[in-house]
Amino acid sequence: MDHRASSSIGELAAVAAGTWDRFWFTPTDARRLAIVRGLAGLLGLVLAWSWARDLVAWFGPDGIVSPEVLGVWRSPTALSLFDLARSSAALWGLFLLGVVVLGMLAVGALTPIAAPLAALFWASLLHRGPMLVGPADDVLAVILWCLVIGRSGDAFSVDRRLAATDAKGRAPSWRNGLSLALLRLHASVIAAAAVVAQLKADVWWNGTAAWWLAARESTRIDLTGVFAGSEIATNLVTHSIVLFEVAFAAGVWNRWTRGPVARVGIVGWPLVGLVAGEPMWGAAMAILAWACLPDDGAPR
Amino acid sequence: MARHHTADRDDRQRPPRGPLRTEDSAPTDPEEGTERGFAPAAGALPETLRGPASLLLALYLVGLGLCVAGNTASGTSLLLGTVKDRLFAPWMVPLWLDLGHDTRLTYGLPEDADHSLEIRPAGKGGGRTSAPLRFPAPGDHSERGSRWRRLAVAAVLAEEDAEQAGALPAAIGAGSFAAAGDDDLVIRVVRTMAPDYEAARSPGLSETALEVRVRRREGELQLIPIPPAEEVAPLFDPLPVSGGGN
Repeated sequence: MDHRASSSIGELAAVAAGTWDRFWFTPTDARRLAIVRGLAGLLGLVLAWSWARDLVAWFGPDGIVSPEVLGVWRSPTALSLFDLARSSAALWGLFLLGVVVLGMLAVGALTPIAAPLAALFWASLLHRGPMLVGPADDVLAVILWCLVIGRSGDAFSVDRRLAATDAKGRAPSWRNGLSLALLRLHASVIAAAAVVAQLKADVWWNGTAAWWLAARESTRIDLTGVFAGSEIATNLVTHSIVLFEVAFAAGVWNRWTRGPVARVGIVGWPLVGLVAGEPMWGAAMAILAWACLPDDGAPR
Repeated sequence: MARHHTADRDDRQRPPRGPLRTEDSAPTDPEEGTERGFAPAAGALPETLRGPASLLLALYLVGLGLCVAGNTASGTSLLLGTVKDRLFAPWMVPLWLDLGHDTRLTYGLPEDADHSLEIRPAGKGGGRTSAPLRFPAPGDHSERGSRWRRLAVAAVLAEEDAEQAGALPAAIGAGSFAAAGDDDLVIRVVRTMAPDYEAARSPGLSETALEVRVRRREGELQLIPIPPAEEVAPLFDPLPVSGGGN
């Protein structure tokens, strides 16, 4: 009896260990990760542009986000390379260097160097102005650190073009599997955390949240006419957002729902972003949705 | 033993080397791997690294859970906060991974409304003198405009924090002296509230969320709070005085 119990516990442990190993460490082709890399690099460039015009006004020697402000705002463990830039020229130099690195990441040039530098640049930029940071910046930071782990330069990249066409460059790697697994984990966690946060408020239960999103002056698309004319439409959009986020957070873990949910996410997240006035966040989430696609969804 | 499927991996991929390897999983013979088009050991995680890598992953997962649990409005647990701050914040904060991801989008609250900055020279007695600088510019729907809005919201919310109160408005003023051409400015955060759904056709209502005067005197920065108008202006009763009128 004891022997049977210990043997079944051993089997369970073996199953758990095997599942753990397969989820995190399965050697995977680089192509899907390479597309994530390219899209993340492009998104990084777009978001960097939104910092560029006010760079000196915010972070310059006489800028608004002064060291005194950072002193009371930032965690003591926060670090930023931009803290070293004491002049406008140094600030611009560092920023442009970061932009170049993001560009290199987008096209896959010197990817093993560009990926960590891009993540470092992005984290430094966000730490320099934490009160200016939006949800798209957060998601991009996560994506960039995940890209550091994988070998995303092995496909669709300048690196690949320049390298000799040996089999090694095409071989699946556990690093790609780990990187994609981390991206999928974060996609689910971010969607779940958003739902949990939203459902604390009445507006997401009574169905008027979509109205509050649309009625802001800053919104990108004006849906106020539609919503003002139909409370049912307002409720429908509100509940659809919640339902979509729940379905995405849970669906990426099931082998049968993963593909459909990820494909819907590639379209759905940008739509949610547009309605919510956070299109860049929607785009960042769509990149995560792409990373969740099963392998049969990758381009051949 | 039956093959253990995972819900999240394509079974056509080569499974890793591990204790559950079966006859239809990863090749153990180098030649077999070569037949499939790649070197068998090239892409797999070496057995010696599997334990340390798993340990690091587990550590990160705990950190991720604590960050999500501790960085939301509800994340006030002293225990979780202490564990996170002691063990995880020192390496997750610098990487900008100490995130709650609680993207609520809106609660329909005043703090979720659009905020903008209005900066104008104070003039004598703080009176209005010239056209103010506005950040973001009216009609700016760009990501850059969103950053200015976040700055304006941050200035308002920081007033509730004893340590941060005043720091951002003072910095905004100090950083705007050159652009405004004046060393004595009024910084106003304008909040534009959307109408309730029941009054959907009504225009939004603009109100002052925060107003301070910032000036530089002999190199010293001074912050002078301006109380809300209703605190200093006499109440106006729109009803006619009894017995008056026609």
